[in-house]
Amino acid sequence: MRLPCPICGERDRREFYYQGEAVALDRPAPDADERAWDDYLHNRDNPAGETRDLWYHDGGCGSWLVVHRNTITHEVYSAELARDVKGRMK
Amino acid sequence: MSNAVSALNGASSNGYVTVAERGLVGMVTLRGDLASKELNDAVKSVTGQEVPAQRAIVHGDMSVAWMSPDELLIVCDHAKADQVVSDLGAALKGVHHMAVNVSDARAVFAITGEKTREVLAKMAPADVHPDRFGMGEIRRTRLSQVPAAFWMVSETEATVVCFRSVAEYVFKLMSVNSVAGSEVDAF
Amino acid sequence: MRFSALRVLKEGLTGNKGWTPHWRDPQPKDEYDIVIIGGGGHGLSTAYYLAKNHGLRNIAVLEKGYLGGGNVGRNTTIVRANYFLQGNSEFYSHSLKLWENLEEDLNYNVMHSQRGLINLFHSDGQRDAFVRRGNSMVNQGDDAILLDREGVREHLPYLDFEQTRFPIYGGLYHPRGGTARHDAVAWGYARGADERGVDLIQNCEVTGIDIENGKVKGVQTTRGAIKAKKVGIVVAGRSGQVAAMAGMRLPIESHVLQAFVTEGLKPVIDHVVSFGMGHFYISQSDKGGLVFGGDLDFYSSYASRGNLPMKEHVMEAGMTLMPMIGKAKVLRSWGGIMDMTPDGSPIIDKTDIDGLYIDCGWCYGGFKAVPGSGFSFAHLMATDNHHAPAAKYRLDRFRTGYGLMDEEGTGSQHNLH
Repeated sequence: MRLPCPICGERDRREFYYQGEAVALDRPAPDADERAWDDYLHNRDNPAGETRDLWYHDGGCGSWLVVHRNTITHEVYSAELARDVKGRMK
Repeated sequence: MSNAVSALNGASSNGYVTVAERGLVGMVTLRGDLASKELNDAVKSVTGQEVPAQRAIVHGDMSVAWMSPDELLIVCDHAKADQVVSDLGAALKGVHHMAVNVSDARAVFAITGEKTREVLAKMAPADVHPDRFGMGEIRRTRLSQVPAAFWMVSETEATVVCFRSVAEYVFKLMSVNSVAGSEVDAF
Repeated sequence: MRFSALRVLKEGLTGNKGWTPHWRDPQPKDEYDIVIIGGGGHGLSTAYYLAKNHGLRNIAVLEKGYLGGGNVGRNTTIVRANYFLQGNSEFYSHSLKLWENLEEDLNYNVMHSQRGLINLFHSDGQRDAFVRRGNSMVNQGDDAILLDREGVREHLPYLDFEQTRFPIYGGLYHPRGGTARHDAVAWGYARGADERGVDLIQNCEVTGIDIENGKVKGVQTTRGAIKAKKVGIVVAGRSGQVAAMAGMRLPIESHVLQAFVTEGLKPVIDHVVSFGMGHFYISQSDKGGLVFGGDLDFYSSYASRGNLPMKEHVMEAGMTLMPMIGKAKVLRSWGGIMDMTPDGSPIIDKTDIDGLYIDCGWCYGGFKAVPGSGFSFAHLMATDNHHAPAAKYRLDRFRTGYGLMDEEGTGSQHNLH
């Protein structure tokens, strides 16, 4: 599997660290209730098909990426800098 | 002070390219806001170079390489590295940054030969085709199992930088990947 | 039909014409007392123990493919009880005791072989950790013997003891650990459940779970609607999708785990051996193939196939530990879909929906748990009380933070197990 880093270009999976579903861009408020934090920390959609997850390009530029890919076919559609995705969410 | 010694004492191997450790090379890591005027001015005054664009390296008395969106690598004489750090510190006084002499934490190799690109391609996941990786560019990537960076010095020579702790691994890796008879004529 | 030596002899002399199918192929009925979703090892053993221990008969197991066609038929077949933490320790201890009686109980040869398992250690720190684990195992009533380097050499003379990078300091020997024939475990439980009246329905995919007023009413399937008083979800890597049919989100991420088999060789590896530096473990099947595996590929996936970097790592680790295997040819590799929980330990619990139960989160260690999981899940579904050895496998432990079982000590977080 190769991921297209927007900064470095396409690189193989070994240059990246996997964080998991891209929920970290949408943290609950610090005073949100226990269920909201449980949901954020532990519960996952875990989709069979398209997913968006967070990868860290530790073997390259050190950027956090949101990768849009398919968990059934391992097809990778695109990768964006997490800060850009986060910027749009505001 | 003890004598500085490079990682492999200038080891070399001759396969279908030549791999040689380059000996002592000065290296300074500079981290900060690469877009800021202060940092650009400081780099210019200390190294004589402009801050390179993304994935680029510029050469002169010193070379300055882009390493990540907030990191540069300055390559200079080994004896000058401490001076570069203190000059940067003076030029960036009061500006958030970090400049560190990493010379002795790195190993530097030269690969020379017609098939230099091919040997890089065997080890790194980055695309090193001449159309995609030209002169004046740097790639920060991996060589097989370990992190490394490299740039083309000419069409037949590349400079490879890795951590000193894996110098022997990288040297053997490059040597094995350039054993005569293992050419694949990739480019 | 009972298997016995006499029967084998008789059939052998009479052309093997008297054997009958191991289980029926029934049409689904309109209604069952209990529907188990998932005809893998855990689902089949749950059905078996519901019938055997609790006298329930009106049960269906719904399987979207064929029985035992998932992880239970594709794993490295290791059976052990060498867990450290309370909660896991008593559960796997119970499960191993069930294994030791399984062939008698099922009247089925599952080829359970207690050939011994040796976890190698390569540093003083690792030795300390294994001493502690061994003490925990002994306290639980299971067996653990600390071997020094020479002790390991007596068992495993073929290891590379001379290499300097990862010197072998010793190993934790678990004599009752071993392997079993994975398919036979599924078949044995299927046959045992079928004999007791359980309907095993294959090619029947669940497409919806019917819930009214917070109570489960039945399931929708590709073979029609089936009413049920109770429904158990036992679908391993697919837990997320099936739970979503009931409007639930689970603390599960599905990852891919690879394993490998070589060509058949003469007997060479007598134990189950795991390397303590780099992820690699190996045993030899009765057919002769070397069966070995490594760690997760470490990204969520349902592709049932892994990537090359982990293959490379496993091969390198294997070559480091026992250079002799470099001569063996790998015939095939596969990637299973692992239902990973944040703390790496499983879930056997009720859900917030009345009559809906879930058994999942077996991570990369579900095979050895097949008997214990079915036994405890059947107990829970039949009595609505947790079975003591599995009482700590609660779904709400992540929300409350109480009773997390992080066996690897890496922290209870999805990407760390």
